[in-house]
Amino acid sequence: MSLRNLILAFVLGAAMAAGIWAAINLQRTTAQPTTATVLPAGPEIAAFSLLDHDARPIDESIFKGQWDLVFFGFTNCPDICPITLQILSTAKQKLSESGQTPLPRIVFVSVDPERDTTDKMATYVNAFGDGNLGITGDIEELLKLTSGIGIYFEKHDSDDEFYTVDHSAVVIVIDPDGRFHSLFGAPHAIENFVHDLPLLMAY
Amino acid sequence: MRILVLFITGLLAACGGEEGPPLLATDIEVSVPMPGTSISSAYMTLTNNSDEPIRITKVSSPQYALIEIHETTIDDNVARMRQVDELAVKPGESLRLQRGGIHLMMMQPATEIETVTLLLYDGDLLLMSMRTTPAAQEN
Repeated sequence: MSLRNLILAFVLGAAMAAGIWAAINLQRTTAQPTTATVLPAGPEIAAFSLLDHDARPIDESIFKGQWDLVFFGFTNCPDICPITLQILSTAKQKLSESGQTPLPRIVFVSVDPERDTTDKMATYVNAFGDGNLGITGDIEELLKLTSGIGIYFEKHDSDDEFYTVDHSAVVIVIDPDGRFHSLFGAPHAIENFVHDLPLLMAY
Repeated sequence: MRILVLFITGLLAACGGEEGPPLLATDIEVSVPMPGTSISSAYMTLTNNSDEPIRITKVSSPQYALIEIHETTIDDNVARMRQVDELAVKPGESLRLQRGGIHLMMMQPATEIETVTLLLYDGDLLLMSMRTTPAAQEN
């Protein structure tokens, strides 16, 4: 082999190696969630006894068997809550259109169970699409669910008829084993869920 | 899902002057209450074309018993909504009322709403009146 061919072979070999290295790294980069934070060892959801939007008693096992996107809010919230649920609903629709399986269930948990009856919750969650789950019930039981996953809520101006409720605005992802898998911090955007959810659900 | 949104069709100027309205409202959206609820919100951009600051201290509507100026904030992933006393628009500047920020919270609506009229006041002085008609918005 001439020196020229030797140099050519070396250059080609180096180019191939660089290409393979780049491909591997590119794959690694695109395979990571960009917004969601994955918990290395997410806890199981604590035991609770609440009601679904059809007034059926439910417990922590309701979170087993599917991926859930859980948002905490209240139906009298005119701004952040419907916006977030609409973002989740649109993201799910986009994932469905792209052929993604499985698709997550959207769960809305009321932090205002005093006003959010099961009837109200049914009408509300159904307005954001089929297959959604609304949860309400006794506040002591609600605290069992929220405190285990770091969800905060507190009534503001509680003497006022039109009181509001301060609440965590994160979206919690629960895996099919009923474990707190990951979370999306606020503010939320449709594209963040469309990008990250297939990666999270492939874990 | 479809959210019905009311868009402005007519805009009546306030504080009229020969050079046009000192206060202008654009990009106006009024949501109808979410199913099962009786609360909705309004968003718009307010522009002050005058040389004086403009304050809006009260908003009312024949279609809603109560309208309050609210601001949503998200700090450390906690959403809070608080009533604010006034909307202040500096001379030559715009103020955006938007989702997840400052907005009008509208409570106790009339049973059937065909159009919505919003009246913006500084104290007892009517600054602006706007009328809306319903339209559907796909998100």
